[in-house]
Amino acid sequence: MLILQPPREGEPLKTPRFDYHAPETLEEALALLAEHGDEAKLLAGGQSLVPLLAMRLARPAQLVDLGKVASLDGLQIDDGHVSVGAMVRERTVERSAVVAERVPVLTEALPYIGHVAIRNRGTIGGSLAHADASAELPAVAIVTEATMVVRRASGERTVDAASFFLGHFTSALEDDECLVEIRFPSTAPGVGWAFEEVARRHGDFAIVGTAAMVALDGAGAVAGARIAQMGVGDRAVRAGEAEAALVGATPTPEVIADAAREATAGLEPASDIHGSSEFRRHLATVSVRRALTRAVERAGGTR
Amino acid sequence: MSTERSIGLTVNGTPWSGEVDVRTTLADLLRGELALTGTHLGCEHGVCGACTVLVEGAAARSCLMLAVQADGGEVVTVEGLADGEVLHPVQQAFWESFAFQCGFCTPGFVMSAVALLRENPDADEAEVRETLSGNVCRCSGYQTIVEGVLLAGRKVRDEGAVL
Amino acid sequence: MTDTVEEPAIGARSVGARVKRAEDPRILTGRGRYIDDVTLPGMLHAAFMRSVVPHGRLLAVDTSEALALPGVVAIYTGADIAARTTACHAGSVVGMNMMPGLASPAFHGLATDRVRFVGDPIALVVAESRSIAEDAIELIVEDYEPLDPIVSYEDALDPAKPAIFEDIGDNIAMRGEMVIGDIDAAFAKADRVIRASVHVHRHSPVPMEGRGTIASWDADADQLTIHSSTQSPHMIRMLISPQIDVPMEKIRVISGDVGGAFGLKTGLFREDVALAAASIDLGRPVKWIEDRIEHLSSAGQAREEMADMEVAVTNDGLLLAVRMDVKLNSGAYPCDPFPGAMYAGSVSGSFQGPLKIEAIAATTTAVFSNKATYVAYRGPWATADFMRERLLDIVARELDLEPIDVRRRNYAVRDEPPLTMLTGQSLDGITIHEQLEQAAEIIDWPAFRRRQATARSEGRYLGLGIAAYLESAPGPRNPETDDQAGGIMGPEHTIVSVLRDGSIDIVTQQHPHGQGHETTLAQVASDELGVPFERIHVRYGDTDITPVALVATGGSRAATMANGAVLHGARELRGKIVSVASDLLEASVDDLEIVDGTVSVRGTPGIGLPLDEIARIVEEEPERVAEGTELVVNRAFHGGRGGWSGGTHCCVVEVDVETGLVSVERYVVVEDCGVPVNPAIVEGQIRGGVTQGIGAVLLEHAAYGEDGELLSSTFMDYLLPTTTLVPNFEIHHVQSILRDPDVNFRGVGEGGMIVAPATVTNAIEDALATLGVRVRDQHLSPAKILELLGTVTG
Repeated sequence: MLILQPPREGEPLKTPRFDYHAPETLEEALALLAEHGDEAKLLAGGQSLVPLLAMRLARPAQLVDLGKVASLDGLQIDDGHVSVGAMVRERTVERSAVVAERVPVLTEALPYIGHVAIRNRGTIGGSLAHADASAELPAVAIVTEATMVVRRASGERTVDAASFFLGHFTSALEDDECLVEIRFPSTAPGVGWAFEEVARRHGDFAIVGTAAMVALDGAGAVAGARIAQMGVGDRAVRAGEAEAALVGATPTPEVIADAAREATAGLEPASDIHGSSEFRRHLATVSVRRALTRAVERAGGTR
Repeated sequence: MSTERSIGLTVNGTPWSGEVDVRTTLADLLRGELALTGTHLGCEHGVCGACTVLVEGAAARSCLMLAVQADGGEVVTVEGLADGEVLHPVQQAFWESFAFQCGFCTPGFVMSAVALLRENPDADEAEVRETLSGNVCRCSGYQTIVEGVLLAGRKVRDEGAVL
Repeated sequence: MTDTVEEPAIGARSVGARVKRAEDPRILTGRGRYIDDVTLPGMLHAAFMRSVVPHGRLLAVDTSEALALPGVVAIYTGADIAARTTACHAGSVVGMNMMPGLASPAFHGLATDRVRFVGDPIALVVAESRSIAEDAIELIVEDYEPLDPIVSYEDALDPAKPAIFEDIGDNIAMRGEMVIGDIDAAFAKADRVIRASVHVHRHSPVPMEGRGTIASWDADADQLTIHSSTQSPHMIRMLISPQIDVPMEKIRVISGDVGGAFGLKTGLFREDVALAAASIDLGRPVKWIEDRIEHLSSAGQAREEMADMEVAVTNDGLLLAVRMDVKLNSGAYPCDPFPGAMYAGSVSGSFQGPLKIEAIAATTTAVFSNKATYVAYRGPWATADFMRERLLDIVARELDLEPIDVRRRNYAVRDEPPLTMLTGQSLDGITIHEQLEQAAEIIDWPAFRRRQATARSEGRYLGLGIAAYLESAPGPRNPETDDQAGGIMGPEHTIVSVLRDGSIDIVTQQHPHGQGHETTLAQVASDELGVPFERIHVRYGDTDITPVALVATGGSRAATMANGAVLHGARELRGKIVSVASDLLEASVDDLEIVDGTVSVRGTPGIGLPLDEIARIVEEEPERVAEGTELVVNRAFHGGRGGWSGGTHCCVVEVDVETGLVSVERYVVVEDCGVPVNPAIVEGQIRGGVTQGIGAVLLEHAAYGEDGELLSSTFMDYLLPTTTLVPNFEIHHVQSILRDPDVNFRGVGEGGMIVAPATVTNAIEDALATLGVRVRDQHLSPAKILELLGTVTG
C-alpha cells in the first residue's frame, strides 16, 4: 500500500480536512459520486485509506463512507460462483466454510492480509479497489478469474479481474463508479491450488507472493495451470507463457522449477529498502515454484 | 464547509453522543473527548496495535477508524474490562505472568487477547503468537505476554473465569 | 512458563521472590499516566515543520499564510528561537564537550541558516489542536539551496565536501588514539595476523511511546514546569537552564509513566528548548507529542560504527593483540549531554571484555553526517562487544577451531593471571567459564553438530552461535580506594521515611520506564524494615521531591546503586525506628524486632508498637522521644564492593537459503547478575534486550540512501520484532561470586542487547559457513544473506 514515502515537512499523522457522507443506500452513494466526481473518495473498511489520509498522501475533499450501505454486505452462493459483496469484511470471508470449500485459494490467502484486527475491519471490495500491487486479493482475483461487478448511478457493468488492475493503486473504476460485488468462480473438483507469500515478518506487506491453480489429466500431466504474482510489478500479473508451457507436461520438480523461472524471467520489480529488483525477482521464482509444487500436490500429482 | 457531525456510540456500556470533527479518529475521540487515555497511540498508521479496542466485539485499530465510522456502534476499551478493583481475567493473568514492562503497548495487547480468547479460550501458543503478531511490544520479548494469554485461557477453562 | 507466582509470606524474605509488580494494576486498567495523557488548562498543541532535504542552506521560511489559518496561535522560525535562547554546545553543562579531540559545534533548537538532516526542525507551529498545527505546516513556504549531502564515512572524510558545521570547519566530530600494552611485542610473537573489517548498521531505540514534552511557563512565579517523557528529569532542568536563561531552581520537571526509553530519553532534545521558549513567550502550556514518523526521522538513531581490525593470534587460537581503526558516524547535531562521537572511543576501550589479550591499539574517528543524531541505545558501548565476539568467531573459522574452544582459550580464568584487564580493572569474581560450560551443556554442543550435519544433507542450514560479555554494572571495587561505582554519574541518593499511617515512603532518584522499581525497591525495603511489601510506596518523577541525579535510570545502574541506597537507607531507618521504640517500650534495642510493621520485643509479638503509632508519637508527642528524632533517612550509596555482571548466550538458527529468512529456533542465556531482587523482572530485562538484539540483526535498519534521503520513516520500513520472530527463551543463572556483605544486586538492563547481535550473527555464519559465507556485517536482512550466498548481486 504505502510504497510512497510520505512528504515529511510536517511528518503528519493527523488527517487533513475533508467533508464526510454516510449514505445508507447504494443509490445515495452513487449519487454522491456522480455529484463530486474526482473530489470524492469511497471509504470502505478504511484500513488502507485512513493511514493514507493520516500521512496526507490521500486528500479527498469528500469522503463517502459505505459503512452503512447494508446491501453491499452479503455473501451468496450461486451456480458456480461465490459472490462477495464489496463491504464484506475480510475476516468474515476468512472464516466462511462455504468459501473454504468453493474458493479455497481465497481462504488460504486471507490470513496473510495484515493481522486479525486489520481483517476485522478491512473489506474484500476495499482491498481490491485499492489495487495495491503487493496485496493478496488482486492476485487471488486474477488467478480465480473473478468478475468484478461495478455500478454507477446510470447502470452496472462487469469487469474481468484481468482487466481491473491497471497499475499501482489504479483500477478500472471511474470516478463515479463503485465496486459492489466480486464473483469468484468455484474451483472445480480436482483442481489444486496454493497461495505463497514471502514477507519480512508475519503479517507484513508481502515482498512477493504467488497464487497458483493446477489441474492434471488422467495421466498426471498438467491439463491447465494458472499463476498469479504479486509484488513483482505495478499490479498483480498472470504468467501466461509459463502457464502455457506447463500444459501437457508432467509436473516434475524440474518442470516446475523451469516454469517458475519462465514466470519471472521478464519481470523488473522495483527496488526498495527490503531489497533490489534482482532480489525480488529471485524471491518470486522461489515463491512460484513453491506455490506450483503445492498446487500440483493438491491436484493429486506426485513429485 | 461544516465538518462536524453528531454521532452516538456506546463506550464501555455507557452511551455517548456529541459533535465530532469528521476527521477525528476513534482513538483521538476516546483519548480526548472521552478522556479514556488507556488507549495508546504508538504509530497512528496501523502497524503497532497499541490503540486496539473492541468494535462490535472484534479487535480493531482505533487509529485506523474515523470516529464517525463508529456511529451507532459499540466500543470497549481497556478501561471497560475490570469490575471495580477486580481485574478482568486477562488483566489478572498478565499481572501474574509479568507480561509487560513499560506498559505502553499493554492496553492493545490486553484487548487483542480478550478478543482472541472470547473466540477461542483453548488457543494454543502458536495461535496466540499468530494472533498477537499485529501488536508490537518493545520491552518484553513477548514470552510473558504469550504466557499471560495462555494463563487467562486456563483460568477460563479451569476456574470458570468469564471474559 | 510461569505457572505459579510466589507471594512472599509476611516476615519471609521478599528479595529473590517473584513478587507481582506494584505498577501493574494501574497500567493494566488503563490508568497509567504517560505524557500524552497529561492535559493542562489553556494548553496549546505544537507541531514541528521539518526539513525534507538532508543538507542545504535555509534561505527563507515564510509563515505568513500559515499564521492566518484560524486556530494557529504562533509560529516560531529558527531565527525566532535563536533570538530567545542561547546556543547549545552539547555536553557543556556536564563538561563532556571538553573531552580531548571532541568538536563541539554551536546549534539551536530549530535550524537557523542551515538544515542538516531529513527531519531537522525548521519551524514550530503552536495551535489550538495538533491537526490545525499540521494544517498550518502545509502553508509554510521554505526555500533551500541544497548542499552536497554527507552520508558515508568517505563523504565525511573528503575535504572537498562542505562542512556540516561551519564553526568546526570539517566533518570530524572526534579523533582519538589508544594504546594499552606492548602492541609491537605482542604482534611480534604472533603465528598469524588475521584481518577483518566489521560493520554495525544504524538502528534505533524506538520505544513504543515516542518523545513528548509539555512546557508550561508561569509568569507570576517566574517558574517553568516541564512535563516530559524522560529517563532523567533532573538532566532536563540542568541542561535547559542556560539555554533559556531561567535558573535551574525555577525549573521543575515532572515525568510520569514512561513508555520505554532504552537510553534515548536520557538527555535534552532540541525540540524541548524550542517548546520552552514558546511557552515563555506565550505564557501558556505548549504540548508536543512526537508522532511515529517524526520519531523515526528525528528522535535519534544509534550504533553506526565500523572497525578495520588486525588480530595477532597463535595457531591454537589465542588472541595476543588487536589493532583497530574505528569509525563512527555520529549524525548531525551532537546529543546533549553525551555526544555520540564519544562512543567511538568505547569501541576500542571496552573491546577487551573477558579476553586475556596482551595489547590493544586503536585509532578512532567519529564523523558528522547528514543523518539523525547519534543517541545512546541500551548498552551504548555494545559495538565493542560485538567486534570482540565476532572476531573470536572469525579467528575460529580461519583456524578451523570450534568457536567455544576459542573462547575457552581466550577468556580469563578467575583467580588466574591476568587478574586485571589492561586498563587495570579487576577481573575478580568473573564466572565466564562456568557460563560457557553450562551453556554448552544446555545446548548440547556435540549433539547439535550431528544434527547440523544431518540437516545439511537434507538441504537445511542450521547454525549455532555463542557469545559472552562482562558488564561493569557496577564492576568490582574497593570501597576504600576506588572511585564510586556510579562514576561520573555520582553516588545514588534515596530518601526513606515512615509516614503517619505507618507506611513507608521511598523517594528514589531513579526514573523507571518499565524496570519495575516500584516493586524491586519496595522488596528490598520490605526485608530490611519488616514492613509488608504492600505498605511500601516508591515515588519518583518530580524534581521538586527527588534527589538530584545526572542520569536517573540508565547504565544498568539501578540494581546495585538504587537497591543499595534503599537497603542501607532502610537499614538506617530501621535503626531509628527501633531506637524510638526502645525508649517507648523500655526495652533494649537488641531485643526488638519489626514484624509486619509492628515493633515488638522478640518472643512477645502480642505486645508492640505499630509503625503508625510510632510515627504519631514522633510527630505529636516529641517529648517522648529523643530530641530531633525524625523518621526520615537520606542515604547516599557509592556502590559497595560491586562485582561483575555478565552472561553467555547461545542460539540456534535455521536459514532458508532460498529466501534468506532466518528463524531463531532456540535461545539460551546463562546469566550472572549477582542476586536477583525479583527473578521475573531480571528475566524480563534479558528477554527484552535479546529481542532487540535479534531485531537489530534481522530487521531493524535506520537506512539512508546515498543521497541522504531517509528510507525508514514508517513502521512498514523500520521493522520491529514481533511475536513470531522470537522463541521462548531459556534463561539460566550461574552461581555468582558475591563480594559485598549486603549489596550483590547487579545490573542486567543492557546485557541482552549487548551480546545478542553477536550471538545471532555468529549462528548465521555457522549455518552458512560451508557455503562459503563469511559475515562481516551485523545487519543480515534476507537480501543481504542472499547476497552473501551469491544468489543475488549486491
